[in-house]
Amino acid sequence: MASDSSEDELDNWVFYRDREEWRDVTPIEQDDGPFPVVAIAYTDKFKDVYDYFRAILKLEEKSERALELTGDAVHLNPANYTVWYYRRLLLQTLSKDLKEELDFISTVINQHPKNYQVWYHRKVVVGWLKDPSLELDFSASILDLDAKNYHTWQHRQWVIKEFKLFDDELEYVNKLLADDIRNNSAWNQRYFVITHTTGYTDEVLKREINYLIAVIRDVPNNESAWNYLTGILDKGKASSETELRETVLRWLEDGMDSPYLLSFIIDIYEEDLEKGTAPIGTLTKAQELCKTLATDIDCIRKEYWNYVSRRLGVEYGKKSE
Amino acid sequence: MTDEKPRGDIREDFLHARHVKFFIRCLNVLPSSYSSLDTTRLTIAFFALSGLDVLNALDRIADDKANYIDWIYSLQVLSKEGRDVNNCGFKGSSTLHLKGYEDFESPFDSGHIAMTYVALASLVILGDDLSRVDKKSVIESLKHLQLDDGSFGATADGSENDMRFIFCASCISYMLNDWSGVNIENAVKYIKDSLAYEHGFAQGPFLEAVGGSTYCALASLVLMNRLESLTSDQLEKIKRWCIFRQKSGFHGRPNKPVDTCYSFWVGASLKLLDCYNFVNFESNREFLMSTQAQSVGGFSKWPDSHPDALHSYFGVCGLALMNEPGVLPVYAPLNISERAVKHLHQLHMTSLAS
Repeated sequence: MASDSSEDELDNWVFYRDREEWRDVTPIEQDDGPFPVVAIAYTDKFKDVYDYFRAILKLEEKSERALELTGDAVHLNPANYTVWYYRRLLLQTLSKDLKEELDFISTVINQHPKNYQVWYHRKVVVGWLKDPSLELDFSASILDLDAKNYHTWQHRQWVIKEFKLFDDELEYVNKLLADDIRNNSAWNQRYFVITHTTGYTDEVLKREINYLIAVIRDVPNNESAWNYLTGILDKGKASSETELRETVLRWLEDGMDSPYLLSFIIDIYEEDLEKGTAPIGTLTKAQELCKTLATDIDCIRKEYWNYVSRRLGVEYGKKSE
Repeated sequence: MTDEKPRGDIREDFLHARHVKFFIRCLNVLPSSYSSLDTTRLTIAFFALSGLDVLNALDRIADDKANYIDWIYSLQVLSKEGRDVNNCGFKGSSTLHLKGYEDFESPFDSGHIAMTYVALASLVILGDDLSRVDKKSVIESLKHLQLDDGSFGATADGSENDMRFIFCASCISYMLNDWSGVNIENAVKYIKDSLAYEHGFAQGPFLEAVGGSTYCALASLVLMNRLESLTSDQLEKIKRWCIFRQKSGFHGRPNKPVDTCYSFWVGASLKLLDCYNFVNFESNREFLMSTQAQSVGGFSKWPDSHPDALHSYFGVCGLALMNEPGVLPVYAPLNISERAVKHLHQLHMTSLAS
């Protein structure tokens, strides 16, 4: 959010108004009207750069110095979409080397990794170049700083889909999950990769379930893993995966008190009830789990678990017992 | 939509008066460190104006109401000869207004869908009748901003496209009482395609589910009157994903820290699904109280951080969902007070009648 003014004082900044090569241009001040709202106390540097930006925009000057000026303008406010748009016009008009532009945008993204416009600009430039060769490493370097940066994942998915770069992505996901098994973004990427490559065939599903059993046994309270497990099992599937079913029920018996485990078992019981394959007592067992959640291991969601219990009673009360 | 008065006496730990002052300061002058918000000053104005409204303190700026309204209209990009109608709408600031060239309108001036949404919402909050809005052009520009996949971009000259802008398009269409600029079928398809395996909504297909886009998706469906496009099984799972986001306050994704704004994004999602009663009020309130800035007012993302306009607004709205005394009820689909919505509905029956 900050464009640090103290930093501005430190570098050897020369104001545009003091630059010999800009003497022919008359800067144009911003007209903030008679009643400025949410006024910003711009630094002198900000004012100077944007006074000249307004001037070249009015002149529609397409020159090297204008390109340089847009560079300073986006550093001061990377969210200014007009500056980015004008910069792209300049890149095209001046037939600039787009690889250099990729270097430039890499620097800006490193400084502002959570800004929308910078990632959009990168996407456009990569699209023009039709060359994604730097993208996986670049996005990985930004994910090194914050493995859950939404913009970065969005860009990475776009590149992978656009240029069919799925080959090594599961390996990358595995590496991230080895670093942090709770990284929900990495789980999401796992789903993205598998869906677009092998798909969840019986074989893949079996492999994934075995992996999840190992992961959850280690860290039972990891919601990301549970959500992924629930997500890959189509409706009605959880109850018929016999091994999985036996495993989770054994975990419950052994006293694993993860709310996600109990909620998963409630869903299995509900599937049984829905299919009509539930032995007598299933509804009661499900409702008892709701009660344990509401009063003991997930009290913050007391109202929710009471609601689930009531809903199950209404839907299956008469049918099954 | 009945109760328009703040309920009961303000509780001692809720720094109501300081939050009012915080929002008024936001409307005046921000320090230079906020320069990166230069192009989105209108969103800060919206947070502050709507914040004051929800705190039932709009009377504090009553003398300047007309000035605020004029300022918002000064940011409208009007249709005129030689201008592409797709650039119409509102922009976020006067950055491209040139001193000494009052009649000059830059061909690079362009509206932004999010700015158009907050402009209309702010005008409604201020009691304006929207008569100076170039409605035809705004609606026309929406047609151009919608992509083949059903999502919306933000500006005619190119931008990212995602769930946020479907929400903006929905709010604009709802407020102007004209849906002819939106292909609802395509938008609904995009929303459904963005329902992640976790059963929260993502910004787009295959992206990660997150509280903000879940709110945008559900609010859009409600405004389009298309919530029934989701099956009851899906709705149950979405409810669970949402309520699982409560830890003390709420977070936006599994295994992320709680953050003030999600008390609104996720809380309002639950409200839209008619199950806000699942929320544990006490824990949520306790967290929100802890993110108040004790001396300067406002809320921050986390305890002991710097307050900002966005988190201050959503902190107040998060409390509004729990009927906090001293706070007006918020109409969840539009993210403005029920009082403001009542004014809007009156306009719909008169000047904006369809």
